[in-house]
Amino acid sequence: MQDRPTAHELLDALQSFMRDRQNAARDRWEKFQFQVAANSLGIILRELESEDDFMRQEWEGLDRLVGAEPIPDRQAAFTARLLERNANLCERIRNGEFDDAEKDMALQRHIFETVVNKVKIASPKELPA
Amino acid sequence: MSGAERRDTGDVAIEAAEKTFPGSKPGKPWKLAGGAVHDSWAIDTVTPDGVTHELVVRVTPAGRVDYEKTQREAEVLRIAYERGVRCPKPFGTGLCATGEDYVVMNRVRGDTNPRLLLTTPEYAEARRLIIPQLAEDLAIVHSITPAEAATAPGMRGPTTGEDPLSYACMTTEMAYRADLLNPHPGIEWAFRWLRREVEALKEEGREPCLVHGDFRIGNLMFDEGGVTALIDWEGTHIGEPEEDLTWFLTRVWRFSQPQLEAGGIVHREEWVRAYEVASGRPVDRRRVAAWEVLQNIRWCQITMMQARAHLDGKTVSHELAAIGRRFGETELEVLRLTGLVERVRNAG
Repeated sequence: MQDRPTAHELLDALQSFMRDRQNAARDRWEKFQFQVAANSLGIILRELESEDDFMRQEWEGLDRLVGAEPIPDRQAAFTARLLERNANLCERIRNGEFDDAEKDMALQRHIFETVVNKVKIASPKELPA
Repeated sequence: MSGAERRDTGDVAIEAAEKTFPGSKPGKPWKLAGGAVHDSWAIDTVTPDGVTHELVVRVTPAGRVDYEKTQREAEVLRIAYERGVRCPKPFGTGLCATGEDYVVMNRVRGDTNPRLLLTTPEYAEARRLIIPQLAEDLAIVHSITPAEAATAPGMRGPTTGEDPLSYACMTTEMAYRADLLNPHPGIEWAFRWLRREVEALKEEGREPCLVHGDFRIGNLMFDEGGVTALIDWEGTHIGEPEEDLTWFLTRVWRFSQPQLEAGGIVHREEWVRAYEVASGRPVDRRRVAAWEVLQNIRWCQITMMQARAHLDGKTVSHELAAIGRRFGETELEVLRLTGLVERVRNAG
């Protein structure tokens, strides 16, 4: 186990630094650069917090749409397989396998849930009210 | 590429001013707030007759140069300027031995910060004036035929008789697949939705025209009297008016006013009506709706393209990398526009 500060605390410190620099920027360009940097750190912080749960939710959504399979034990294998399953889902959509009204509605629900979870991490201000 | 090897683009601006106005003495350039790809410099140069030329030199850094594109943009700018479109007057383009390219233009007065335009009381009058002005400028741009723009090199667009929406749908999908960084079931679903719309809307014999190609609130200059110039014509090509009309509507360019679809200034319908008045041409609302979905998908593709420029190591930039994460919010907007969000919510 690593010493404190935790990764989360280090990122927090970095984010404060970026915000300070943003507020003390000499011009619009520099202000924008530090704002973007602070925002990126915010994305990382939210991702550390929630992405494990979101990946599991996405996996379970895929289970309901295309048939269940067990989640790989190792994190790297889990990520790689989730990516493959998404590529496979895209191919099935292209082939018209979800054109049937009921399947289409189930797909739309899954798509909405996964996209909302992406936005929760990347740009929470853009979430639907 | 490391920062140490890269030539300062301000030096390129000096070289550009000297070459475009031979015998002139350029002053010290100052950097303008710019895009993620180009650097823009303001510079004054004094010709031997004592005249001071106030210029903007936009420089593409080495490694990201497409010189034909730069020449195309300058030529279209020349045509548009002569027709009376509010835009900078181009003086010349050039390619440096060190790998950068540039376009030299006159320096138009005005601000480019969309947040100021959209939110400050200082620009309340400009906000009122700007919609009919922009509609007027666009109507002139769209009155330029492909034949009249033929002097610009490498103009892409539909062939005669081909439906411009159908063509744009195909090219956007190709670009999307070429730039793909990871799969997006939402966009696959949206492409299927869109293809059905495009098929239903297909029309033969629609007249293609010149389009700005990147017409949005961040690509104009303004003062208290409204618009002073349409800028950043690098995406110019042959298309149809709805393309520019709907790029202006994409959510990402509304800044702090997302409820006002047209550039964060007015609602969608008011904008389309202003264009109908200026151009004297009716606009099909269903076609606008299909274009709007397509344009948001195009923005999805651009976020990947920008992130790729960083990931491939062409332009190391945390800013470009971060743009890649704006995919999701745009994908969500695509889902909203197709009615998916509403359907899922109504279904409970």
